[in-house]
Amino acid sequence: MSEHDESRRAFIVGAVGAGAAASTALVQAAYAKTARPKTATAKIPTSKSPTAAGAPAEHAVEIFEGGHGVFFNDEHAATVAAFAERLMPGAPGKPGATDANVINYIDLALAGAYADQQDFYRRGLAQLDAYCRKAYDQPFAKLSAAQQDDVISALEQGKASEFEFPTAQAFFNTLRAHTMEGMFADPVYGGNKDFAGWKLVGFPGVQLFYTGADLASKEAFTRAPITGLQGRATKGA
Amino acid sequence: MAIEKTDVVIVGMGAVGGVMAAELGKAGLKVIGLERGPRLKTADFQLDELRYFQRKDLRPSPKTQPVTWRPNASATAVRLPQLDYGNQAGGGTVHYGAVSWRLHEDDFRARTQTIERYGLSAIPQDSTLADWPLSYAELEPYYDKAEYDIGVSGKAGNLQGRKIEGGNPFEAPRQREYPLPPLTKDQPSILFEAGAQKLGLHPFSTPHAILSQPYKGRPACTYCTYCQAFGCYIGAKSSILVAKLPEADATGNVTIKTGAMCYRINSSGKRVTGVSYYGPDGSDNTIEAEIVVLGTFIYDNTRLLLLSRTDAFPNGLANSSGQVGKHLMTHIMPNVFVAFDDRHVNTYMGPSAQKYTVDDFNADNFDHGGLGFIRGAQISVGTPNLEGGPISFSTTAPPPGTPRWGAAYRDYLAKYFTRFAVMVAQTENLPYADQSIDLDPTVRDQWGLPAPRLTYDWRRPNERATVEFMMKKMEEIGRAMGGSQVWRGPLSPGLPGAHHEGGTRMGNDPNTSVVNKYGQSWDIHNLFIVGSSTFPSMSGFNPTLTIEALAYFSADAIANKYKKSPGPLL
Repeated sequence: MSEHDESRRAFIVGAVGAGAAASTALVQAAYAKTARPKTATAKIPTSKSPTAAGAPAEHAVEIFEGGHGVFFNDEHAATVAAFAERLMPGAPGKPGATDANVINYIDLALAGAYADQQDFYRRGLAQLDAYCRKAYDQPFAKLSAAQQDDVISALEQGKASEFEFPTAQAFFNTLRAHTMEGMFADPVYGGNKDFAGWKLVGFPGVQLFYTGADLASKEAFTRAPITGLQGRATKGA
Repeated sequence: MAIEKTDVVIVGMGAVGGVMAAELGKAGLKVIGLERGPRLKTADFQLDELRYFQRKDLRPSPKTQPVTWRPNASATAVRLPQLDYGNQAGGGTVHYGAVSWRLHEDDFRARTQTIERYGLSAIPQDSTLADWPLSYAELEPYYDKAEYDIGVSGKAGNLQGRKIEGGNPFEAPRQREYPLPPLTKDQPSILFEAGAQKLGLHPFSTPHAILSQPYKGRPACTYCTYCQAFGCYIGAKSSILVAKLPEADATGNVTIKTGAMCYRINSSGKRVTGVSYYGPDGSDNTIEAEIVVLGTFIYDNTRLLLLSRTDAFPNGLANSSGQVGKHLMTHIMPNVFVAFDDRHVNTYMGPSAQKYTVDDFNADNFDHGGLGFIRGAQISVGTPNLEGGPISFSTTAPPPGTPRWGAAYRDYLAKYFTRFAVMVAQTENLPYADQSIDLDPTVRDQWGLPAPRLTYDWRRPNERATVEFMMKKMEEIGRAMGGSQVWRGPLSPGLPGAHHEGGTRMGNDPNTSVVNKYGQSWDIHNLFIVGSSTFPSMSGFNPTLTIEALAYFSADAIANKYKKSPGPLL
């Protein structure tokens, strides 16, 4: 278990153990999906025995408010979310990785179907952090967009030679593949929020049929709304 | 350890096993079919690109059922990252694109045809290209039976020697029309047809084992696109799961055991006595049978023979020829992409694999003089990776100059996902003795069995020249289709492509082949090995209909000849 895992556990145990209204609000704030800034500063208990008598020590940490909570710690979630957003940046009318909640998709996948890649991610993120601190004296999430793009290019081209396992290219390729999955997989998997990815490219999702007129058309498909797997289940089709 | 007795045990319940179980059951033989995967239902299948395309549900897991590959015998093999064959009752036909070809007449005599037209020197010296031990005419009634039994949609191009407008003018003569008319044309097909015709080629609707109309109690295709990589959510795809296994059940003579991993063929001298298998609970079981049929994917047809070696067959069961595991062939599948600025083409609609085809550059349908290669490829239009969703699209190479990520890539995806089509050439890869399958010395699967190891590298002079020729042809078609951008997809660094064939080749000579034309082992007359593992050459066509036709052919031989008088059929 990494030190970050311990920190999260202490935070959760402390919040529950204290039972104070302030702590409850803090949990809600930490997990709420808001459109406001992606990080918030909060005071959290860090004692390893928070239920013991005596006030636990407190200090300020940054809490990432993205859609994660089953695998990534806050720092890793912030890094992966920033990385994904540079791979698929959002713009007005063009939903990106943040809009699609790609971080939530990857977080859920690493706690489930891709659990065997947890170590790959931890090691990759540690190497990415070391690379960024060496080159820019800052973690990836704090870099400017242009600097982040330079880092990603270095990974893609295998120029970040400090990477051992995973290699820079393997780490890039995996993050890229998982970002695309989070953009375009059915929303049931936690990404593609409100069909953001499907809207971006014009894919109508789960359509049970296309007509001859649909097949021959030279126009974009608009006959039926975008539908996902759970929509299909709801309609009992 | 449980011991059961039966007339016939069939290993693998896919294209071969499903057909043979139904046919032998109908002939009154008691059959036990072993299937290592589950038996799924049509209601199990979801329209879910992540699960079935990207994460490859319905395929064997490379982690628990590894297959390794090395480019040559001096390299160390690595695990293949993904496996594209089936892992359930119905086998690969559950997830396949359902493209259903009959081979050309000259595909059955590729060696002789080449020598007659171009001379022996046209065949690469290290190639083991061989004629099939049966002709198209001999197999034609079984192609016909397969098409009508399972349900194939298409348009005849050659009815009893008469050329028919709208079909494939290069096809071998067929006794009657397809049982079902072609599938409805979609926008990529319309553009491909117009472009190919402009170039003087002969485009036609690709025959698919997908129902264009209701047939035998199954509904017609709804063109939903969840086709290749998926199980059909209404059973309109004529998989063996829906087209033959219910028939096998109805005979009352067939028992299918799922979660049953065969690990050895048992034998006594020159006779097989049955098989042993691990059950889903890890139990070790034995079936005693009069006849054993091997109908697994090509890796396991070879692997089981090598794992079943005995004192009488120290190099692998039924391998006195030394040919077991040799002559591995795969389709290389070069791609050309076409993007359109003047229209949407919505490639994600309709059948996802090989929608429309030209056969002008396949087999010996064209003059190869001076081209530097023999044989050829079908060229067809369809979706990236034969699958039409956006995850699939995101795995393909954008045009030169467009990055793979960032705002420019996002804009490329946003503009071209619905304005994009892909062509693929299924190039005929010649057989070579050193392209082979054996047992990996170190990697083992979940049952503790040595993994199949492939030794293969397609990058040979004949194959490189074929690929380059087909790329150029596809680029010409793409431009004739009106594409604003036409570009080539990347080629693999030697890896095996699609449709693996070979390993237990059939022939007329027991010294140079493993089985005769009926799939009967030359060494052991009550052992039959059926499937694309027996193909002596591969053709530029998808193999499944031919695999099914061979299964009908073998079943007929067993039911009507072997059963009456067990012994060598030839």
